Amino acid sequence: MTVKQPVGDGRIVFENVSKFYGEVLGVNRVSLSVLPGITGLVGPNGSGKTTLMNLTAGLLRPTRGRISVLGMSADRPEELFRHVGYSTQYDAFPPGLTGYQFIESFLRVHGFAAKEAEAMTWKAIERVGLTEAAGRKVAGYSKGMRQRIKLAQAISHQPSVLILDEPLNGLDPMARAEVIALFRELADGGLHVLVSSHILHEVDLISDQVVLINGGYVIAEGDISGVRDEMEEEHPVQVLIRCDRPSLLASRVFEQDHVVEARLDDDGKGLLVRTRDADSFHLLLNEVVLANGLTIEGVAPADSDVNAVYQYLIGSNGEKS
Amino acid sequence: MAVYERNYGRYQGEMTPSWSRFLIIPRYAYREVFQSRMFVSFFVLCFAVPFAGLLMIYLHHNLSALKFLNLPLEQLKDALPINASFFRRGLEFQGSLCFLLVLFVGPALISPDLRNNGLPLYLSRPFSRTEYVLGKMSVLVILLSLITWIPGLLLFFFQSYLDGAGWFRENLQVAMALFVGSWIWILVLSLLALAISAWVKWKPVARISLIIILWVLWGFGRAINEALDTWWGWMLSLSMAVSNVWASLFGLTIDDADLVMPIWAAWVSLAACCLICLWLLSRRIRAYEVVR
Repeated sequence: MTVKQPVGDGRIVFENVSKFYGEVLGVNRVSLSVLPGITGLVGPNGSGKTTLMNLTAGLLRPTRGRISVLGMSADRPEELFRHVGYSTQYDAFPPGLTGYQFIESFLRVHGFAAKEAEAMTWKAIERVGLTEAAGRKVAGYSKGMRQRIKLAQAISHQPSVLILDEPLNGLDPMARAEVIALFRELADGGLHVLVSSHILHEVDLISDQVVLINGGYVIAEGDISGVRDEMEEEHPVQVLIRCDRPSLLASRVFEQDHVVEARLDDDGKGLLVRTRDADSFHLLLNEVVLANGLTIEGVAPADSDVNAVYQYLIGSNGEKS
Repeated sequence: MAVYERNYGRYQGEMTPSWSRFLIIPRYAYREVFQSRMFVSFFVLCFAVPFAGLLMIYLHHNLSALKFLNLPLEQLKDALPINASFFRRGLEFQGSLCFLLVLFVGPALISPDLRNNGLPLYLSRPFSRTEYVLGKMSVLVILLSLITWIPGLLLFFFQSYLDGAGWFRENLQVAMALFVGSWIWILVLSLLALAISAWVKWKPVARISLIIILWVLWGFGRAINEALDTWWGWMLSLSMAVSNVWASLFGLTIDDADLVMPIWAAWVSLAACCLICLWLLSRRIRAYEVVR
């Protein structure tokens, strides 16, 4: 480990960025400021996630606007590409290479001398837990191993920004947990880790902040709870309470103005409450429980995950509601 | 070390010169190419004519070694002089082998990267599209050089060594013709193979395309010439164009008048082919294919 060298202003900044492929919209009028940590990029197929990632990686140039990655732009590719690690969603491996050769050859392309490339290759392979398989051909790897070797090539040159397109696809739960832990470790070390995924729950779990994108437009950004708070006024929060006397609880909470719905579970042991004021509701819940001696099995937000936010923002027809 | 200092560290050491990085590409390409026994056998056979040439040059200067054969050695020596024609014939034969080698290696150079969306792997590094093409091209350039101008010049210097400085001075144009002529053909074939590999995903189709461009267009050009009693048809034939350029570089003439085209036309034909190939490559070699 060495001391991190801060680069530029430490942010990835999109200033009114648009990208058009001829007449086809890639992304439009995107303004973002991405801080270090894990940033989840979420959106349906064709929403512009990959375009946004490719713009960040300098693989595409914006039609309009300006992108600054830690103070650098794609106008200086030699400098930018040293700081960016990129992994595509595709299994793009040159034929016939072993895992070790795959990493080592691209480090050499990057400009590392043989000795450094060898050491860095082993370090990256160890980090993704593929040391034993390093001598085997990538063509014989499982889907999960391929994801990990792609991750290894993205981190092997020690970038400051890691751009990973669908990096968790195909990983089994154990490998997924290990890779997520690695993301966290890298993010805690000051890296920008930009992760796209269509598995919303997964992004919710790992991201410090999310960028929701649809139809080429960024429709929300920030941390999930922050986005959810902004929605509370128009879209009540749902809270599921499992307790021994839900009907009593329902009668009490329904007296409150901010509660718009209280619905009993079919099994008679749960209550789903929709409220416009989550803080007041939780205070009320404490009071009711203490006053009536309710036994609470669990209280869980029913829709604070990114999926609910996403459903709200995008809607069934793909339009922002 | 304090916890806040335990950050992810970047490499701060020296990098290799950027001009040399494209040479990483052929290193791994050769591993795959030379795994084929058929290719290895073919590649070894490519050295048969240079070796025969070496033997001829040696015997030309050491006729006593053949005395036991009871042959008219002096007449034989006069019949097979070591001159510009000798080297040109060698280059023409090796040039044909170049085509076969490109037919084997060329189609697999770029198409797998495009098929697997592998270009971002290269282009998300300090590695330009030009360097990528140079790297892929160097796979062919190195192999083709090994069977054309390198053995050609070795034979030239061997002959110069045996015949003396006078022959060397008198035939300096032959050395230049070997070098320049080989490079022209290498560049044309390499760019053609890369352009086809970039646009045609299936190897068999890519090979058929190469054959069409080299041989079918030759036949088409000949048909045009015969039908219209002109030489313009040879503008379509790369092999005829390069053959005329070689003859010009060696300071020789082509015996069959039907195969002759103006030298400027030959150069234009080859240059046009290179430019079209470069344009095709520039259209195709991009980090991302844009599907409209």
